[in-house]
Amino acid sequence: MKHKALLIILLLLVTQRGSALTAVEADTLAARAARAYAAGDPTAALALYDSVASMYSSAALYYNIGNCHYRSGDMARAILNYERAHRLAPGNEDIVANLEQTRAQIKDRIGELPSFSLGSWWEVLRGGSDPDQWARRSLWSCALFFALLGVGLFIRTAILRKGILALSTIALVGMVVSLFMAYDRHTELADRSSAIIMDAKVDVRSTPSAQGAVLFMLHRGTKVQLLQAQEGWQEVKLSNGSVGWMPEGALERI
Amino acid sequence: MRTLAYFSLLIGLVLGTSDRTLAQEITFKASVDRTSIAAGEQLKLTIALSNTQERFGAPDLGGLVIVQGPFESSNMSIFNGRMSSTITRTWVLTAAQPGRYTIGPAKVKVGGGYIQTDPITIEVTKGAATRPSDPNATLGQQRDPNLFTTISLSKSKGYVGEQVVATYMLYSRYNNLQSVSKELPKISNAWTEEVDLGELHWEEKMQTINGLPYRVAVLRKQVLFPQRSGKLRIEPFEQTCVIDRSFFNQGRTVEVRSNAVEYTVLDLPSGAPADFSGAVGELQMTVTASRTRLQENESVDLTVRFSGRTNLKLLEAPAIALPNDIETFEPKVTDRITVNGNGMSGSREYQFLLIPRHEGNYELPPVTVSYFDTQIGDYKTLSSGPTMIEVLPGDGSATTTLPQRPAQSDIQLLEKDIRHIRTGDLELEPVGHELFASPAWIAGMTAPAIAFMLLLAWRRKQAREAQDIAGSRRKAADRTARRHLKLAEQALQSNDREVFYSALSKALGGYMADKFGTGITTNASETIRRRLADAPDSEQLATNYQRLITACDMARFAPVEEVPRATLFNEAAALIGTIEQRTRS
Repeated sequence: MKHKALLIILLLLVTQRGSALTAVEADTLAARAARAYAAGDPTAALALYDSVASMYSSAALYYNIGNCHYRSGDMARAILNYERAHRLAPGNEDIVANLEQTRAQIKDRIGELPSFSLGSWWEVLRGGSDPDQWARRSLWSCALFFALLGVGLFIRTAILRKGILALSTIALVGMVVSLFMAYDRHTELADRSSAIIMDAKVDVRSTPSAQGAVLFMLHRGTKVQLLQAQEGWQEVKLSNGSVGWMPEGALERI
Repeated sequence: MRTLAYFSLLIGLVLGTSDRTLAQEITFKASVDRTSIAAGEQLKLTIALSNTQERFGAPDLGGLVIVQGPFESSNMSIFNGRMSSTITRTWVLTAAQPGRYTIGPAKVKVGGGYIQTDPITIEVTKGAATRPSDPNATLGQQRDPNLFTTISLSKSKGYVGEQVVATYMLYSRYNNLQSVSKELPKISNAWTEEVDLGELHWEEKMQTINGLPYRVAVLRKQVLFPQRSGKLRIEPFEQTCVIDRSFFNQGRTVEVRSNAVEYTVLDLPSGAPADFSGAVGELQMTVTASRTRLQENESVDLTVRFSGRTNLKLLEAPAIALPNDIETFEPKVTDRITVNGNGMSGSREYQFLLIPRHEGNYELPPVTVSYFDTQIGDYKTLSSGPTMIEVLPGDGSATTTLPQRPAQSDIQLLEKDIRHIRTGDLELEPVGHELFASPAWIAGMTAPAIAFMLLLAWRRKQAREAQDIAGSRRKAADRTARRHLKLAEQALQSNDREVFYSALSKALGGYMADKFGTGITTNASETIRRRLADAPDSEQLATNYQRLITACDMARFAPVEEVPRATLFNEAAALIGTIEQRTRS
């Protein structure tokens, strides 16, 4: 009885979705957007994808929105969406390719670009899966581990017991790895400390005030690291190490 | 007549020495053939001087212009010994503008004084001009009626880039005229093309302007292509001419200045096609391929020929989006352009040498070029049809000036573009939903652990319960044995042999089985020896037990009673008591 009640609560928690747009409707909208995009109307496709994005998100959705912005000529928004997609799925080759192609179109070229080590097994293993997938894996491996332990209790034959024990050890390792991965990706996603510049031109000043000396200028589409914020001003750091203050409104967080 | 003239001359010579005072009265008269003309018509002015040899010039013509003249004639006659002579000078005059003109008196010096003719008034009415007079010519004529220059344009307005011909003319009524220098106006905002006219050439036919005949020469012709909309102004040019220069005479230098002209340049309408070539005027295009069947690595000439009346020199090579396997080079340009008084016309040819590198059927895309048609006042696009070229596999003998390429080549990256969108399932997740660290996830992670704990607890309990059965039996062993001993005691008193031995056997065997958790059938004496090994009298207890149980069994199953029942009963009770004591301590 106790077990059954727990299971029902679990099911309720997993299937609970408080959105007005049902998953089926969202899929229909996305399919229409894909057709509009293929027909050469990125603006219409963008409107459709945006309505889906108000309720749902995924790496592929951000990637498609980025493509629509690219085709409409808005490179800064394209980069913003590709970066969001890349954060969700760091191992996806298409996202990296389009991000690099779009970065070649913007004005600023600061230092060396952050390298994408696509080849490393680590990125491949880690990337391509969002934290939910790792969380799901951790659930499965956890269930498997305890199930094997439970079975082991009833087995008297020594050799079978040993086999079960070995299997449960593998499941345990799997659980620990996926837990770690899920945590890693979770913290990575929670970290929203970089942003894309949305204004055509921004003066970066030495102090958080309009009287500060202009250190350098940045243009639309450049990625910056966010440091501290103060009264509508944001301290930013470039990939080449330069630091300065700019108005908050010129940025959009990834 | 001739004889008469000869004769009179003879007589004159004879009488030459005679008194000159015999001469007749001197008369000086001016007359016109008519006093009223229409503008542009001509009249004849005749001035006759009789009986004197004095010379006289033309009177003040009061605005009338000399068309021809003076023509001079003289005659002499001797009549009745009296000689009379007349000199007649005749001018042909005209007037361009209607009005009242007065021919002033002509003067001649005779003796100590002058005599003069009467002034004549001429009425010029606004008549139908015999030919439409050139306004430019009129303008020029007002400066010096005998020599002027003009600039004229072939039209008064046109589009940017549309050609217009500017003609610089020299009008002269002098016979001996040398053109010395000309300072030509500089024209900004227009691309100019000079028409080669060769030597200064006087036209054979005289041109009559305002009734006056002029010799006309074209000094220069220019084809202009205005580059900017608005007013295009050509400033007057200066021309220096020398008149009547001869071996003996230095001549007279005359400077003339032409009129200025203005030209209205219209902007091209908006909405030019993307492939607008900049050509304005008329344009035709033909595209021909020298052959359409060839082997790979052979060459084919693709000729794009532009012809028409426009600025052909500005036409650039058309961009042809060739299939990538076809190699091409800078096109060869052949111009057949003439620039003459009608403007620029002719043709320009671009010859592309194409070398297909691989076999196959290729479609050369249509060549398109747009120009502005001044006839219809709109843009027109010329397009050739696509050209199909069939390339056959080569036999290696293809004659080509280029080194043979390897048959295999790398894939060329022609263009960089973003990759296509992801279609199909986008793996959408509700915004803000994250499984990791969510209550559901925590529940999912802890549920198996809890389930396992519960399973483990249940198993423990089961095991404990199984252990408890043995314990309670052991605890109850003494009690059960006593119950059996009580039964045996009752049977002893009632002298029931069967029941006595059965109860005594149960008391002994059951006690051992309960106490040590063994079966009834197991060798109990061995169990006693093993379990009570610590006790000093274990051997004796085991032997006693063995002896008692054997005696019981013997008495039960055979009618043998070696030991009295009461003794047996007491010994069994004592043994159970001793074992109970030993196992407790």
